Amino acid sequence: MAVLELPDWMALAPALILAGTALVLFLIDSIEPHSTNRTLLSGTAVAGSLSSLAVAVWFTVAGVGATGIENYGVIDIMNGQFVVDQLALYFMIIIAVVTALVTVASYDYLQDHTYQAEYYSLVVLAATGMSMMAASNSLVTIFIALELTSLPSYALVAILKDNRGSVEAGLKYFLIGALSSAIFVYGVSLVYGATGSLQLTRIATVLESGDGAVGEMGGLLGLGILMLIGGVAFKTASVPFHFWAPEAYEGAPAPISAFLSSASKAAGFVLAFRVFTTAFPLEATTGIIGVDWTLVFAILAIVTMTLGNFAAATQENVKRMLAYSSIGHAGYVLIGLAALSADGGDLVMGAAMMHLLVYGFMNTGAFLFVGLAEYWGVGRTFEDYNGLAERAPFACGAMAVFMFSLAGVPPFSGFWSKYLLYTELINAAADNTVLLVLAAALVINSALSLYYYSRLVKALWIEEPLLDRDRLAQPTGLYAAVIAAAVMTVVLLPAFGPVADAALEAAAAVVA
Amino acid sequence: MTVDVQYYVLLSMAVFCIGLFGVLTRRNALLFLMSVELMLNAANINLIAFAFYHGNLTGQLFALFTMALAAAEVAVGLGIILVLYRNFRDVDVTVPTTMRW
Repeated sequence: MAVLELPDWMALAPALILAGTALVLFLIDSIEPHSTNRTLLSGTAVAGSLSSLAVAVWFTVAGVGATGIENYGVIDIMNGQFVVDQLALYFMIIIAVVTALVTVASYDYLQDHTYQAEYYSLVVLAATGMSMMAASNSLVTIFIALELTSLPSYALVAILKDNRGSVEAGLKYFLIGALSSAIFVYGVSLVYGATGSLQLTRIATVLESGDGAVGEMGGLLGLGILMLIGGVAFKTASVPFHFWAPEAYEGAPAPISAFLSSASKAAGFVLAFRVFTTAFPLEATTGIIGVDWTLVFAILAIVTMTLGNFAAATQENVKRMLAYSSIGHAGYVLIGLAALSADGGDLVMGAAMMHLLVYGFMNTGAFLFVGLAEYWGVGRTFEDYNGLAERAPFACGAMAVFMFSLAGVPPFSGFWSKYLLYTELINAAADNTVLLVLAAALVINSALSLYYYSRLVKALWIEEPLLDRDRLAQPTGLYAAVIAAAVMTVVLLPAFGPVADAALEAAAAVVA
Repeated sequence: MTVDVQYYVLLSMAVFCIGLFGVLTRRNALLFLMSVELMLNAANINLIAFAFYHGNLTGQLFALFTMALAAAEVAVGLGIILVLYRNFRDVDVTVPTTMRW
């Protein structure tokens, strides 16, 4: 790597900056243990995540991790334990963006909270884990990054210690998380048993050459892969490990719900993309275990999106509706993995990554709006939100943008990413029945989702309020974060072409 | 005399299934934690047996990481169980039901 002749490990800078920020926050906390200087703490966290974002964007533009003569090539760190390529940088950008939005919004949300420094350092530590996960290239580093993400998240969900909902959510999140990480690490041990290696590229080499006893251990390998899928399903809130999501998102402080449902989900998907494209080459693996693993993802995708959308349609509580909608969106992104067996599967994966980036803005924004509503204390159900637009037209306008974008209504970017996903899927499908069924499921679910998203917009803008409201406060941080997310959801449109190209290129480089 | 690797795998699968059974049937949060520990240690048995079988140290090293992470997980878990007790006066995982799906 030769950006100003920096050493190789500097390619991990976006993650290292986040780690450094967490340590600075700890330092501030140890100098002044009960500090409630919100500007300093929140400011440090925001500055850290923004510089991580800036460095990741700079690296992407400079061509770090990209192949080709004018670029710097894929960077291996610590004998291939970490790898920095376009895929890693792309996801580091998503994670840094969401972290920045969440920390800005937390400034107001945590106004009277006792544990300020702890909160911000845990958020930034979890973001570090997610960023590391994007660059991990070995099952060891993946597992460590996964736990570095999970452990602070458990604590963050339960951080409102006197709030029964928050504690209950934290407990449920922890129980299912501990179970799924035990299953994940058992899967890792089985894959190691079958192949004798934990580094992803070496696993692929062993599988392709069929050396040693791999051929006889097809059963163990298959079971191991299934268990790895279980770990991925937990992180991305997909079936069968999705049932923590509605509880955790509803009980957690709203900025944390936004953080988990956007950044943590993106991190789970980069893990899945990395592991399954690098370590388990389709033909060789199918030859050994006798089953095509994309089929598992196709089934999970259909079940996840259908379950998420149907459950969301029946909710009365807004935060819970958003939680189920986030399960539905996990189903859409899983299509990216299900289509890998077909020609042009890399394009579908790129489209799925594009959808994750757009989702990072619109879903974070939607949860932060719920945070704003909690700040006002207006209540949690659809009826409680009636007529809010009279009092807060800007925030409600932003919320309408998020809702229509999540539903996939043109001209918002949520429509374009879903449209890209759909067209690439149809192109790849050709005469592949499974993919055609997936495309049909995607369309039907999107149509259904319009019902419950527009229901919220109707409540905000059209319904009369149940009781008269006083003027609503305008907290700076929350407003800034919500409006910024809305602006990005719209502004991504003109920038859609180049950003989508970056996603497609990154996917193609990994799949090839 | 060495024991064949398949017996280790059988042992670890037995331990894993005992742990899974505990997770699914126990209502006490502390017993739940212990069951998860069993499942993690089942993975450790596998890793160490396979490290011997393949003749490299990767598995043993990873087992050390797993142990450290299991300890960290228990620390966070006990913290959550403590606040659970303070709020609900119980460590039964079926008691907190303020939210329902």
